[in-house]
Amino acid sequence: MSNIDLNLSVGGPQGGGIDTSSNMISRAFASSGYNVLGVREFHSNIKGRHSYVHLRIKQERPRSLKYPLDFLVALDPDTIFEHLDDVSTGSTVIYDKNDESSELSQARMIMRDTFKRINSTLQENGFELNVKGALELMKKRGARIVGIPFSKVVEGVELDGPATRYANVLGASLTLSIIGLDRKFTKGSLKHIFGSKEKVIELNGKVVDAAYDYCSENKLSGKTLADKDAPPRMLLTGNDAAALGKIMGGLRFQTYYPITPASDESAILEEHEHIKWLSSENEMLTKGGITVVQTEDELSAITMAEGAALTGARTATATSGPGFSLMAEAISFAGIDEIPVVITLYQRGGPSTGLPTRNGQADLMFALNTGHGEFPKMVMSSGDVEECIYDSMSALNYAQRYQLPVIHLIDKNLANTSDFVPKIDTRLVKVDHALKTEHRDDFKRYTLNTDNGISPMGYFGKDIFWMTGDEHDELGHVTEDPVIRDQMMVKRFRKLQLAAEEIPDSEKVLVYGKKDAKITFITWGSQKGVVLDVIEALKARGIEANLLYLRMFEPFPSKFVQDFLSKAGTVIDVESNMTGQAAKVIRMNTGIEITNFILKYNGRHITEDELVSATKEIVGKKNKTVVLENGA
Amino acid sequence: MAHNFRSDVAIDWCPGCGDFGIVTGLTQALSELNYGPNDVVAVSGIGCSGKTPHYLNIAGVHTLHGRSIPYATGVKLANPRLKVIVTSGDGDMLSIGAGHFVAEGRRNTGLTIILYDNEVYGLTKGQAAPTMALGERTKGLSKPNIYGKVNPITLALSSGYSFVARGFSFDTKHLKDLVKKALVHEGSSFIDVLQPCPTYNNINTMEWYKSRVYKIDDEKGWDPVVLPDTPAQKVNEKFNNAYSRGLEWEDKIPIGVFFDNRAIPSFVKRIAENVPDYLTNPPSDQIVAGPDGFTNVDPFKTFADRVI
Ligand SMILES: Cc1ncc(C[n+]2csc(CCOP(=O)(O)OP(=O)(O)O)c2C)c(N)n1
Ligand code: SF4
Repeated sequence: MSNIDLNLSVGGPQGGGIDTSSNMISRAFASSGYNVLGVREFHSNIKGRHSYVHLRIKQERPRSLKYPLDFLVALDPDTIFEHLDDVSTGSTVIYDKNDESSELSQARMIMRDTFKRINSTLQENGFELNVKGALELMKKRGARIVGIPFSKVVEGVELDGPATRYANVLGASLTLSIIGLDRKFTKGSLKHIFGSKEKVIELNGKVVDAAYDYCSENKLSGKTLADKDAPPRMLLTGNDAAALGKIMGGLRFQTYYPITPASDESAILEEHEHIKWLSSENEMLTKGGITVVQTEDELSAITMAEGAALTGARTATATSGPGFSLMAEAISFAGIDEIPVVITLYQRGGPSTGLPTRNGQADLMFALNTGHGEFPKMVMSSGDVEECIYDSMSALNYAQRYQLPVIHLIDKNLANTSDFVPKIDTRLVKVDHALKTEHRDDFKRYTLNTDNGISPMGYFGKDIFWMTGDEHDELGHVTEDPVIRDQMMVKRFRKLQLAAEEIPDSEKVLVYGKKDAKITFITWGSQKGVVLDVIEALKARGIEANLLYLRMFEPFPSKFVQDFLSKAGTVIDVESNMTGQAAKVIRMNTGIEITNFILKYNGRHITEDELVSATKEIVGKKNKTVVLENGA
Repeated sequence: MAHNFRSDVAIDWCPGCGDFGIVTGLTQALSELNYGPNDVVAVSGIGCSGKTPHYLNIAGVHTLHGRSIPYATGVKLANPRLKVIVTSGDGDMLSIGAGHFVAEGRRNTGLTIILYDNEVYGLTKGQAAPTMALGERTKGLSKPNIYGKVNPITLALSSGYSFVARGFSFDTKHLKDLVKKALVHEGSSFIDVLQPCPTYNNINTMEWYKSRVYKIDDEKGWDPVVLPDTPAQKVNEKFNNAYSRGLEWEDKIPIGVFFDNRAIPSFVKRIAENVPDYLTNPPSDQIVAGPDGFTNVDPFKTFADRVI
């Protein structure tokens, strides 16, 4: 197998089949034994605006993405303009030759401000304001330009509908041929994607052949890459992973109100209402499925999930910032009434509807402080697709075990990252149940007779008990008695203390790299991978760095973090927000103030190259805060 | 022995409040239907009405302001065997909770919803509720009501509720019969209960209502029932009759069953068509792990389409 490391972007109009192109490339490489990591970037638009997928292909599993691109595949003129700055020496640009004469002024789908920026870049460098000019600039910057007349490639091929409909498959096939992947893998990917749609597979297969034939006739084909057998793997996005984790974790009731990027998770759950079981020896174990309800709003989503939880069902909801804002009151209710419920919070760029389809990590403080009054809740976060599976299982478990709301943070970048997961360990996380009552007549749902704060759960339909959002007595009836109030507050918070004691530090925080490294990065969420890659890149230059990776914010591993940071060298906080929220949480819990920041809040994913150079700036003491700006 | 549906919690409503009659009607209906204590759950919102579950000797949840319907829907959908009663005020259900009220009509889950209709916000001291008429001025208001009125009956009909009725809290026997009908109805049932609030509403008093209410059920030829084989034209006719009776107010106020459509499948039934074993093994009852405590789900089979 060749040791390749390729960064590749396929861009085109939203709705133009970018997902299929990226899927073809990912799956073709996967079946020849490579690994691919991908992030999807798109506008809040259904058809027309620029969207692209950034992929990295390696033999070992890639953890981050990098610029400049090795391949830019432009399915439309906008892509050439939008990614003007993403290519450099060694890049190959593949585009439709017929687009060459397209004027920048005709690229109506480019955002006004982006348009102005591209316009002045071309003008300042003295190039024509069209695709040709842009390509010349790219060429001047060292890129290899490969123009292919797309329509000509498929001339004579009998297709169903206009050739433009196949641009995505054609673009992917040309690229794979130029890179040097054997045609059988490219064709094989069609079967993965289109499944039983024989006719579609056949038609697209002809497009693949045409592309490969064209490349070989025109001496464009790359040297054939070696391949080898790889174990079966799953290609999962963060959304998929969260859904899968929930299914494995025993979720039986999910509510949602549509919002990007959260609703994909619920759609996936809906497709998998019928669970596939490990074995069917015990009939009871193979009965049932998941009920997914699309509600009228988020107020309904969270309250419906809580209502369902009162019957014993494992319930969850998924949302993003604006919807989570609406849920705050009911999260407080789950707090006082000790209702197990999971809220998967997909962060995106805020405030308000902010950047609805772009990345953000600015809801950490809000998640921690959500809801009025003081009550125990848990806040955890995942950083890659694999973690997302197990964390979603754990979130359901913790909600049950401690009878409280659990907020599981995922960011848009992770939600829309696709990665290969080779193995799923069904025995890594045990399915934990709530402490249950024996059904008795004098059942006290909120008994104070407990050392660890956990009163046995009762379930509607099986036990009689009451609940109220007001302070309540042991039976669940309203009380304003000052003594009971104090006891209930203490009882509820005792559970959080229990969680802090019981859950091992390794589930809350991880350290990667040598303990005594000169540089310590702090990060959370989807930045984990890119920081790990940067640590390796720095090591190659003789600089030792490590990572303090945060996974749980409530309960917070205060002592561990304090011990670790008090011995650390240069500490740099890396986050996708403007105010360094994780650093604030650290200061709140440990008193340690972090002063170096690498932050990104333009909604795009952090790439390895920009993180390396930002680190150099900080270590070289040029700056204490570096704001990252890459991204189309 | 029949279960005692009244809990031993002391009721703290004002003397003379119409809410007492609703609790009486409710508990009597539950007894007469011979329900067991674990067959029924009460869900309320916030307000004087919101306290109802505490006064009932069945499991109950006194939820957030306006959110009783989605809470109740969660309970019902996770365990469809349960009868779920929603008790909510006019402010609670038709102002802050209006979106849920309409959505529930579309769902027709199978809840029994009882509106404590006193035209005022009781617990927050008498502000105008959405059921109060424009220009009306009860004693708690410094100026006449500046809002128009929502009509709960026609709103419920328009939203799709399959059982729509009105009761009067001082006619507990009639109210009890309505509740019984509502509880056995398969889809969602809605009962608008005229509930005098002597503390804040000095206009729509017990006497005011008593001189106006009349029972439509007693009228010859009144038949609000729609069956699966009722022809479409007949359904429209029944709906229109219900709607125009729903508009009556002032001199004569109809109580009784306006519309009883048994042909629309409940949301519970609609889900059962998608999820196998939903009714026999609902979310509340499913075993979610193998005997060893680990997941009984096969990830590679579940996501077979993502395996390469
Ligand atoms: C979100 C929220 N807003 C406001 C309140 C304050 N509040 C308590 S009771 C109530 C009015 C209830 O009126 P109604 O539903 O008509 O019931 P009634 O008291 O008349 O039975 C309000 C607004 C609250 N508890 N929660
Ligand atoms: S304020 Fe009105 S509605 Fe509330 S308890 Fe008193 S009389 Fe009843």
